[in-house]
Amino acid sequence: MTQSIQPAESQERRVQEFVTAFQTLRTEVQKVIVGHDDVINHVLISLFAGGHVLLEGVPGLGKTLLIRTLAESLDLTFSRIQFTPDLMPGDIIGTNIIVEDADGRKHFQFQRGPIFGHILLADEVNRATPKTQSALLEGMQEHSVTVSGTSHPLAPPFFVLATQNPIEMEGTYPLPEAQLDRFLFKLRVRYPALEELTEIINRTTRPREVHVQRVMNGEAVLRFRELVREVPIAAHVGDLASLMILASHPQWERAPEVTRRFIRYGASPRGAQALVLGAKVRALADGRYNVSIDDLRAIALPALRHRIILNFEGEAEGIDADRLIEQLIEAAENLSATGKDAFLR
Amino acid sequence: MAEASVLHRLVQQVTREVRLRRAEFWALRGLFGGALAAAVPLVARERFGMAALVAAGALLVAGGLIGALVGYFRRVPPGEAARLADRGFGLQDRVATALEWADHPERSPLVDGLVADAVARVTQRTQRRIVPRLLPREAKFIPVPLALGLVLALAPPIPFPKGALPNFQASTGDDEEQPKERAGKLESSDRPQAAKRDQVQRAEMKDRTLAPRAGGGGPTQAGDLAAVFKDTSLGSRSPDFNSFLKKGDERIRMLEQVDKMPDLQRDFTQSQYKMVFQKSKELRGGLRPDQVSPQKLRELLNEMERLGRKGSQGSPWAGDIAEGMEALEGGQNERAMDAMERALSKMRNMEEKGREGKGLRGGRESERRGGQRGPRGPGQSGGPGDEGDFPEGEGMFPGRGKSPTPKGDPSQRLRGNPFDVGVEGESRSGRKEGFDTNLLGRGQNVPSRLQYLGVVGQYRKMMEEAIAREQVPRDSQAHIKQYFQALDER
Repeated sequence: MTQSIQPAESQERRVQEFVTAFQTLRTEVQKVIVGHDDVINHVLISLFAGGHVLLEGVPGLGKTLLIRTLAESLDLTFSRIQFTPDLMPGDIIGTNIIVEDADGRKHFQFQRGPIFGHILLADEVNRATPKTQSALLEGMQEHSVTVSGTSHPLAPPFFVLATQNPIEMEGTYPLPEAQLDRFLFKLRVRYPALEELTEIINRTTRPREVHVQRVMNGEAVLRFRELVREVPIAAHVGDLASLMILASHPQWERAPEVTRRFIRYGASPRGAQALVLGAKVRALADGRYNVSIDDLRAIALPALRHRIILNFEGEAEGIDADRLIEQLIEAAENLSATGKDAFLR
Repeated sequence: MAEASVLHRLVQQVTREVRLRRAEFWALRGLFGGALAAAVPLVARERFGMAALVAAGALLVAGGLIGALVGYFRRVPPGEAARLADRGFGLQDRVATALEWADHPERSPLVDGLVADAVARVTQRTQRRIVPRLLPREAKFIPVPLALGLVLALAPPIPFPKGALPNFQASTGDDEEQPKERAGKLESSDRPQAAKRDQVQRAEMKDRTLAPRAGGGGPTQAGDLAAVFKDTSLGSRSPDFNSFLKKGDERIRMLEQVDKMPDLQRDFTQSQYKMVFQKSKELRGGLRPDQVSPQKLRELLNEMERLGRKGSQGSPWAGDIAEGMEALEGGQNERAMDAMERALSKMRNMEEKGREGKGLRGGRESERRGGQRGPRGPGQSGGPGDEGDFPEGEGMFPGRGKSPTPKGDPSQRLRGNPFDVGVEGESRSGRKEGFDTNLLGRGQNVPSRLQYLGVVGQYRKMMEEAIAREQVPRDSQAHIKQYFQALDER
């Protein structure tokens, strides 16, 4: 590593700066969004980890509002695409149009699509055809788009937040596994509790309008992303993350029984990256300099739930991916040395 | 790093604690082993005297001591101790990570902050023991050998058996002369002798006449297959190989007459009536007639009507079904239920009637009923299950019928269709070309058909539940329903 060693005070200041920024951003979002603390935390974790988020929930729970509020809190450009069955890839990426210059000569000019923004809201992403959905693939992974053989880079930070509705399945095209894997987290937006619902009514049916301030710019986001990657992780914690991923593979010889029975395909290495990066952000947001096992446990559900593909038996028995992952975590901890008192004997 | 020494000290402290706990753990194990070993010299106390007590005590102490030493000197990995410290003091893997990264060649700038943070938290911690005490499984059994040892120590010494083993070497003349004297040293002289028995008077062997039993071994009646197999006359006769062969031939001949074999393959557990009865039971489910879903009642009536329609004879419950449907149209659930019950009752009667005498007895139905049906005219065709197309012994095998052709003349019941090779079908409306080869004729009552209906019914139910649960698009729902409808019509 070529980085110079800085005094601990300086590092402490950097970490404190991150903690403050994280909390400020969360407070701004919470000015508008009532409840959903976990969802807000995970969206922010994803923002600083450099990944994309898929939000799943029935209509009216504030998914789109959450993303819009986040975009308003950040000093970044925001684009929104409402996905429909007739949406074309060109509507997302952009297209070459014929323009006439001052000399009267015509030539093609690339007209940028809405993907060329910092924060992209792909609303109801599963309503567009797979071809259109795949237009997001390159942008999400490579942070660039290619049109007519020319590659156009997307300005960092590029952050895609997609929403989908799990109930209205008619006329939808479920996201293919390849695209699902490109989302760092899949978050489930649930119904608010009684107190939260009352607070929502109070906030939204009064004349007083809530104004969200821009509290962070793109440069700060990129700086914090760099800081996140510096967070050290102990070998046994890293091993536990690997075991969690491997425990989801039915072909693995040490896979637990529940995996062999209900899972067809386990999580990819991208899942391990998501797990560790998310855990690093969580640790840093908590003011810690290292990743703990608790961080991995907390991040495992959003990072893995869309990466585990159930087999026929799992689907027929209505197995919930979240419960399955909890069992996988337990199995992985039993497989690793952590949490065991065996060495005491 | 100088700061890291605080962390190292913490790890050493935890390591010591682990060693002490291990020493306890292994000492208990050693104590158990030592207590078991101590029982051996105590058993032999008569021979060794006080030395046995000393040896037992020494073994006990040695077992405990050796166990404690083994436990104390077992290796404690520093990483494990650091993890234990993290867990014990709630440090969230700070110590383990800091120690691992403090001297790491690729340490990131944040490691300094991590070490400082870990040191700060370690110094703030409250002193307490964090290593839990673990007891070995043997610990709860330790009192047993200890109590045994105590009993052995306090009780009088166990006497060893005295006396020598008998001399197995070649005996001398003196030994032969005085066997009782030598035995007297080992055995008690007043040992009770077994009472002498009176000599049993045995009967002399006499020749027995192996006459056949009365009533057994008589000639069997044709068609009485069960009687042939129940015949035990061979067992009571004197061995006569020719007779045995003769009987065997007779049995083989009976087996060849396949039409007289009992129908062992018929599955009586899945009958039309039973299926419909199960459905009606599910439908009612303890509900009053006004609570029953008209939709489900209609489905059941349709099912009963369909089953009745499939039979070649008109079903006796058709009128009740029609009445039930009519009542259902008029919204009279109760009346429809009554009609359904009546139809069900008729179906049950028919089922029971059909089952009469169709047990494991061989022979024809008509024979068993004593010719109740009477002779049939040449133009009358039999219904399904009727096998009376040929006289006894004719037409069942190629070349045995009256026709000169090897397969015999086409049966009347096959409607004289030269292309119909034995599959009895029903012509459908709108399909005039080709020949209908569906198995709706005799095949409807065979077990496989009934199982098919049962399975399709189960699958239909699962499909309906799955559609309700999985939010299948409506277009697909229609396709699925059409598919199952097509399966049902087959």
